[in-house]
Amino acid sequence: MADKDILKDLKQSILDFDEDAALELARESLAAGIDPVEAVGVLADGLNELGVKFERMEVFLPEIMLASDAFKNALSVLEPEIKKKNTEGKKAIPIVIGTVQGDIHQVGKDMVATFLATAGFEVYDLGVDVAPSRFLEEAKRLGAKVIAAASLMSTTRPVQKDLIDFLEAKGVRDQFIVLVGGGVVTQEWADQIAADGYGQDAIATVNLAKRLLHVA
Amino acid sequence: MGMTGRERLLACLEGRKADRLPVLSVCQYVTYGLMEKTGSYWPEAHYDGAQMANLSAGGAEVLHLDAVRVPYCQTVEAEIYGSAIKDGGRTHLPSIEKPAFALGEEPAIPDNFTGRGRIPAVLEAIRRLKERVGRDTLVMGSLVGPFSVAANILGVSALLKASLRKPGALIPYFEAAEKTAEEYAQAIIEAGAEAIVIEDMMASLDMISPKTYREMAAPYEKKLIESIGGRVPVIIHICGKLDQVMEDVAATGASAISVESAVDVAAVKEKFRQQGISTPIFGAVHPINALLEGTREDVAKAVQASAEAGVDGISPDCAVAPDTPVENLLEMTEAALRLQPVN
Repeated sequence: MADKDILKDLKQSILDFDEDAALELARESLAAGIDPVEAVGVLADGLNELGVKFERMEVFLPEIMLASDAFKNALSVLEPEIKKKNTEGKKAIPIVIGTVQGDIHQVGKDMVATFLATAGFEVYDLGVDVAPSRFLEEAKRLGAKVIAAASLMSTTRPVQKDLIDFLEAKGVRDQFIVLVGGGVVTQEWADQIAADGYGQDAIATVNLAKRLLHVA
Repeated sequence: MGMTGRERLLACLEGRKADRLPVLSVCQYVTYGLMEKTGSYWPEAHYDGAQMANLSAGGAEVLHLDAVRVPYCQTVEAEIYGSAIKDGGRTHLPSIEKPAFALGEEPAIPDNFTGRGRIPAVLEAIRRLKERVGRDTLVMGSLVGPFSVAANILGVSALLKASLRKPGALIPYFEAAEKTAEEYAQAIIEAGAEAIVIEDMMASLDMISPKTYREMAAPYEKKLIESIGGRVPVIIHICGKLDQVMEDVAATGASAISVESAVDVAAVKEKFRQQGISTPIFGAVHPINALLEGTREDVAKAVQASAEAGVDGISPDCAVAPDTPVENLLEMTEAALRLQPVN
């Protein structure tokens, strides 16, 4: 298959949320000598396209979740190759991400994690129901300068403030960039709790992280 | 002579004329301020019927709403099925730590379902509320819709993925959840509740497609409502932008539909009129922009806007955030009172 066809099919595997095809085509792309960065780019295009349809309520969350699984499958093959290539380059910037304590919503946070990974960050996903102390422990352990905390419920949003208060209390607030997001989060809220940034969606969060970290 | 809140809300739910728009919180309304004012707190109020009743009575005695309701969280049924629950302490609601089942496992129904877990506390709270505030305020028992119970016993991700990949494998979970909801509804009615709220938050178009709603959520909502059989009115609450399925929600037979402000209520009401659907719509005061973060003026505006859009009862969009100021909730009640009488 020509490189162009492989890339086209790879993107289609995301649009079809076909996990098996995504994995297979990622392997094929490497075998054909395609730049893995280009392959990831095509995958991200597919996700973005679905994202637009999602906003228009033409596709729904289950499709996005399965597409995201397909993306991760392909990434598991492509990412190690990108890292090999990048060893001479600069190190990826670590970010810890999680949904706050008391909140078990996973999907939106997963999407942001996926997009951050696509953009070249080293993403450590702490999962859901993450206590403020755990955000700090893991960020310290992993040397992450960025903590991204999601809340998807009006009842758990105060925990984003708890996280920032906790960092303050430990005297380490200025060592971290804290990003907040989630369905119930607003710029106003982010300002009110003195978060460093508010990401309205996955793409906005990537741009925000890049801007705050001064990476292109 | 004005109506009591109970009379007003019942009139609205039964299609009779009320003196003005009812005001209530279809979903949970407990705040830290309400805990202080009533002297009953989470987490005790999740487990103890007397504390639960005392805290919820604040909805009538402090907030002057037309209805009170129990419980606060959406984990009661899932816990009985065996999902691990994480207590939320003083400040948060209990949440699901680990779902009870993996897809493919048989969702065995525990016997004596309504005698288990926190249901006896919920039923006791209903009895106490009926006694304490039930003369003038409508006492509502709230249960979780079958689709959402299935999500809470299987895990949201597993359920959503299976809804596309293996829809047939989900049927036993929906059927079990519907059956236990029938038993729970029966017990709620026997305890004296005069209305039932079905919260089916996972059946939202934020989560699933209209097709999935029609095939996997609505049929079980309908079956549950049929089993209640009009003994008490049923208010169904589903989150998100529901415009595409509002007629389907109405077709479940619910006495009223509670929606978020994401829904274009005026457009839906017009569509309902054209099709001869008379189901009242409750909403749509934003719990964050208006109630939590807004000024009293913002709340009053949101109430006014909801009324102008044509809601039949004023209610927050969804669960009230626990750090919401009590003054803003009071303003919701007062702003509803200031509205012009309905024709």
